[in-house]
Amino acid sequence: MTGFDTEFIELFRDETARRLDQMDNLLLEIESGDAGAEGVNSLFRHAHTIKGAAGMLGFDDVRALAHATEDVLARVRDASEFSPEIAAPLLRATAAMRVNIAGSGQPIDDVLADLAASQAGLPGGAGSPETGEASSPVTVPRQADAPGARQAPGSQTTLRVPADKIDHLLDVAGEILQHRRRLAHSLGHQAQLSPDVADLLGLGERMLGDLKDTAVAMRTLPLEVITAGLPRVVRDLARDTGKDVEFSVSGADTELDRLILESLSEPLTHLLRNAVVHGIEPRAEREQAGKPPRGRLELRAEPRGSLVEVVVADDGRGVSPDVIAEAGRDKSLAEVLARPGFSTATEVTDLAGRGVGLDAVKAYANSLGGDLEVRSEPGQGMEVILLLPLALALAEVLIVERGGGVFGVALAAVEEVVTVTGTTTLQNQEALQVRGRSLPVTDLAALLGATAPPLSDRSPGIVISSGGRRAVVTCDTLLGAEEVVVKPLGPLLARVPGYLGASILGDGRIALVVEPATLTGGPRRAPGPVAPVPEPPAAPKVLVVEDSFTVRELQRSILEAAGYPVVTARDGQEALQAIDRDADIALVVTDLEMPRLGGLELTRAIRASGARSSLPVVIVTSHGSDDDRRLGIEAGADAYMVKRSFDQQDLLATVEQLVGR
Amino acid sequence: MPTYLRLRVAAEAYAMPVEFVREVFELGRVEAVPGARPEMLGVRNVRGQILPVADLAPLLGLARAVPPGRLLLAEAGGRQAGFAVDEVSGVGELPELAEETQSDLLMGTAFADGELTGVIDMPRVFDALEGMRP
Repeated sequence: MTGFDTEFIELFRDETARRLDQMDNLLLEIESGDAGAEGVNSLFRHAHTIKGAAGMLGFDDVRALAHATEDVLARVRDASEFSPEIAAPLLRATAAMRVNIAGSGQPIDDVLADLAASQAGLPGGAGSPETGEASSPVTVPRQADAPGARQAPGSQTTLRVPADKIDHLLDVAGEILQHRRRLAHSLGHQAQLSPDVADLLGLGERMLGDLKDTAVAMRTLPLEVITAGLPRVVRDLARDTGKDVEFSVSGADTELDRLILESLSEPLTHLLRNAVVHGIEPRAEREQAGKPPRGRLELRAEPRGSLVEVVVADDGRGVSPDVIAEAGRDKSLAEVLARPGFSTATEVTDLAGRGVGLDAVKAYANSLGGDLEVRSEPGQGMEVILLLPLALALAEVLIVERGGGVFGVALAAVEEVVTVTGTTTLQNQEALQVRGRSLPVTDLAALLGATAPPLSDRSPGIVISSGGRRAVVTCDTLLGAEEVVVKPLGPLLARVPGYLGASILGDGRIALVVEPATLTGGPRRAPGPVAPVPEPPAAPKVLVVEDSFTVRELQRSILEAAGYPVVTARDGQEALQAIDRDADIALVVTDLEMPRLGGLELTRAIRASGARSSLPVVIVTSHGSDDDRRLGIEAGADAYMVKRSFDQQDLLATVEQLVGR
Repeated sequence: MPTYLRLRVAAEAYAMPVEFVREVFELGRVEAVPGARPEMLGVRNVRGQILPVADLAPLLGLARAVPPGRLLLAEAGGRQAGFAVDEVSGVGELPELAEETQSDLLMGTAFADGELTGVIDMPRVFDALEGMRP
């Protein structure tokens, strides 16, 4: 595999992953008894193509699995018998191929034995693998699987462009927009513009708008890039819990920000798991309740204004009457259910882990500037609605001023603007009648923990709707709506709760963009004490050594999210200094190729050092050949992972294994 | 011999290796981020980029008599931040460092121009700021 450009390997992984998704879906159809000759033919074609590519690129285990799969399928096709039992061993084979294309080299003997056994059980008896091989040229389908023949619906040309280039384009488009705004701002102070200048400015604005829309469109991808594997997930969950579930996906062509899609799988899987494990009842219970024996689970997505609604709906038990009672008139279901640790299940099952964790999903949506809603009736099922922004980087915000600071609130969360006067107070909570409903009124400064002089009478108030709650937030002045580029506050301020980021306004001032959920959640406690707060008992500290900023920050975020304190170094020399200085470093995760001192040399230097020679070292690199791996291990590395197939679970599992947390 | 940027924080003498310093400029307009720790003064617009700004005085355990005037743009391990200081007094070498210090955030001290000068360990300062809760 060394002779091939990593680009090819990446292409192979992409393509094979897609084919495996399609195979899984076809196998699920066979398993539920509604597939015929056509499905088996498609499966056969996929297996055959995977076999060819895997063989060429040296993925021998994948090739062997695809080959065995092909043999079973050939036998099934020849016998024209599509019994549902045939699906299980083939699904195990696709799972094993999936693992092996990622390069983790899991043993495949068991899976191959299963396949051979299932083949032996088919009419025609056990054949030697060679028979299958010999017959395959004959059975290659007529409509060849050549690239282009199937991959190009319509005649669009597709370019593979690195994601960071698109991000940069969007950044630049955003910067130009702001630049233009600043220009308009300065020109605004001058007297009448000549009609020519005004025309040119108008034309420029339209073209910029077009550029921005195109850049945003390049940054978004359809939801289906992450839904293809979900039918399989649901099927496995249903099988493990003995449930009968029919799963459907609609609106998979809805576009979402690439960054959101990258992180959406986990919360989505979590919601599906909740629905299967806790929502949908066992068959007998459903029949008793007069429901169809088969549970229905639906994932659907559709745009809702500047947001996208992703809904996980089931027709299971729904919430208990207690929850409805607790929510009462004032609280939303989402609020009750997303309370940390709240669970709709009476017993905790292994499958869903501890607690149902709707709080984590809500926190996820809020951190993106989105929201979580829940609709449910006892006995009638439940809908969990994730509201997500269409594009992360650009946001329409209402700009307000309070105590000298400038803040932005997503327009999507603003219902209306009111003048706050004639409020009533009950139990220290000020309230205002807005369209016949009494809404709590809170000072923006109090919500954020800012110090500010008291508000004047008749101050403006924004009616915010978020998390199923509505509230009025008061400020000094409203400065108007703007479309802004939201930038992260960076690692030093990332832990301050309540902000989505910050934006530079036309006049050069910085507006802090506030999470809408923060504004409906009541006042915040005063900021923490001045003395540094000691960290809780330390998890082992990890040193990440990597010259690429993106990779470094990615690894840092993965490890920090798992609770490890992380320090970083840009090359081997910085790493050695850090190790000398910081006795708490318990593990090193390093790249191979770096300026000054590379990963192999760093590993050797650590092994040769006196006091820290036993420090565990994990090499994470884009070099995946066996030779490279051997060199890494010989240098004294404890583990060796390939970046192309980089999987955060793998990294965490490896780290955990080495530092025994 | 390494070169140091020499500076004053709450009237005391400090220095940091120049390799960590990108730029020095006026403190300018810093927007507070409500809810952040007191060490974090807020954010500042630096040529269209949003730069987090910390005050070195509370980090080093010092109380300020006068507000800071200058901002150091420092970088360590891919992390960038602005640090408010009283003033920058020059660039130069230091006599050999004594490594015993009372603060975790110092890599040593040196006796220069009749004053004890603390040499700030920038990677540690960044680590401390990142590790702190809001």
